[in-house]
Amino acid sequence: MAGEAFQTSVVGSWPRPDWLLDELRRKNDGEMTYDEFSEKADEAVLLAVKYQEDAGLDFITDGEQRRDSFYSFVVDKLDGIKLMTMADLMDYIKDKSRYEQMLRARDVPAYAIRTPVVVDRITKKRSLALDELQFLRKHTKKKIKVTLPGPYMLTRASWIEPLSMKGYDSREELGKEYVKLLREEIIQLRDAGASFVQLDEPSLTEVVYGEASMQTFMCAVITSKVEPKEELTFATELINGAVQGIAGVKTGLHVCRGNWSRKEETLLSGDYGPLVKYFQQMKVDQFVLEFATPRAGSLSVLEGLSSGGKELGLGAVNPRTDAVETPEQIASRVREAMKFFDSSHICLNPDCGFATFAETPLNTPKTAYRKLLAMTTAASELRKPMEGRVLLERPPR
Amino acid sequence: MSTTELNGLSLTKLQELVGAATKDPESAAPLNKWNARVKWKGGFKSEAYVREHSFRSDEPSTLTGANTAPNAVEYVLSALGGCYVVGFVLNATKRGVKVDDLEVVVEGQLDNILTFFGLSDKGHPGFREIKVKLYARTKADKKTVDEIWKDTIATSPVGNTLSRNVTVVPEISVTR
Repeated sequence: MAGEAFQTSVVGSWPRPDWLLDELRRKNDGEMTYDEFSEKADEAVLLAVKYQEDAGLDFITDGEQRRDSFYSFVVDKLDGIKLMTMADLMDYIKDKSRYEQMLRARDVPAYAIRTPVVVDRITKKRSLALDELQFLRKHTKKKIKVTLPGPYMLTRASWIEPLSMKGYDSREELGKEYVKLLREEIIQLRDAGASFVQLDEPSLTEVVYGEASMQTFMCAVITSKVEPKEELTFATELINGAVQGIAGVKTGLHVCRGNWSRKEETLLSGDYGPLVKYFQQMKVDQFVLEFATPRAGSLSVLEGLSSGGKELGLGAVNPRTDAVETPEQIASRVREAMKFFDSSHICLNPDCGFATFAETPLNTPKTAYRKLLAMTTAASELRKPMEGRVLLERPPR
Repeated sequence: MSTTELNGLSLTKLQELVGAATKDPESAAPLNKWNARVKWKGGFKSEAYVREHSFRSDEPSTLTGANTAPNAVEYVLSALGGCYVVGFVLNATKRGVKVDDLEVVVEGQLDNILTFFGLSDKGHPGFREIKVKLYARTKADKKTVDEIWKDTIATSPVGNTLSRNVTVVPEISVTR
């Protein structure tokens, strides 16, 4: 699926305007329908598209403007699943003191964190992201990237046994339901013109590093402790079930270490090493990974991944900082990646979204735009010496 | 939403209460007195009986308890948080402000736990400082919310108990 070297895109989300957040709150309070809200969000999407186009990105997303967060938005699209606050779920949380520590570290009330919870058999009200794609197609001629929460993330976050047993006998059965749903969605998105579908699976790092860190993903707190090997095998099966054999659209998997705060110390740390052998088994085209933050460790652990022909979506800018990376800094990081991946297999993106959770944007649109501009400048500089040459050239080790 | 109800409180009942107390302050006198009876249940466990309610107290395993319930100092912190919740909702309702969500986080620092064990005579075993943070979700403007919060703190019975050093009158009765 690789094409021109150093293709650029955002990971997904873009900071929402304040007026849109007001409308989002109204929708979440039941004061308007999803369709009414979505119509208002059109204007915000156009703004997000404009910034991305002006920055010169190769792939455009809708900035996830219609979404409450990268995964909780599914409640607008599915029946049998509802948005519950962590305060609502307090009684079901097994390790309450760990949960309390996390809330304190994040300085947030439990009512502010919402997660989708399966409370019945899931049925589709509407496609997960087809409306987003269709609107984008009317307003950009660029290639379109659509992000979807991965099947493991959805299963892990939404399975609250006492509530979810009404719809499914087990977490595994629920996982299969998500696989079926996402597979249909990816095919539908491809047929409607999406060029790139990215599954978000940030909690994979929590499986390997969550216990070592005091701070972790909220969804992980609800469930009991997990055995990493078993859990990663389960995640791999689900991801492959969703993407395997689907041709005609680039598929990607985004894995980061949390993106809820600018306080780097509250996010997970550790390299991708323990995940690589599972990445090698995953049938996606591209791994969209963090590397702008030192918490992500060394690129060298990915060496085994490049031999399988996988693409790297290299995290080139940190979405959580005010300082804008220079094109030279980005190019230097790319050259490091070129030791392990062919140039044609390297794409550039920020480490994660600029506003993964609607209410807690991590940057202003202006700074985010400047970061994207630095990224596209670096990409075009990096392409220059290759013009007229074989792009698959790999620098000496 | 009913016009006679705000924040889950009956405005009619609230007005009746305020009206009666304004007209006859003595009618509020019974509300000045509160009671609890606490029975030992073995180990560090105890059960508190309060009107038609009861709740257990225990110590965590780190203090050789069975960790079946919160301990007494945690109840103090919870009581303070609960009191601020009541006060905030009352003061908001009085102003006609709708509260969409409310949460209070309380964190207490004991002066010196070693004095509780009899291992030190420095300081005391009580709380030296208690930090309270209230999270509210409401459409009210900041000035109004600040006023509600200020009134909540000023009129909190538990807050005042802690900050004004209440006189404790101990007595013991032994049977054989």
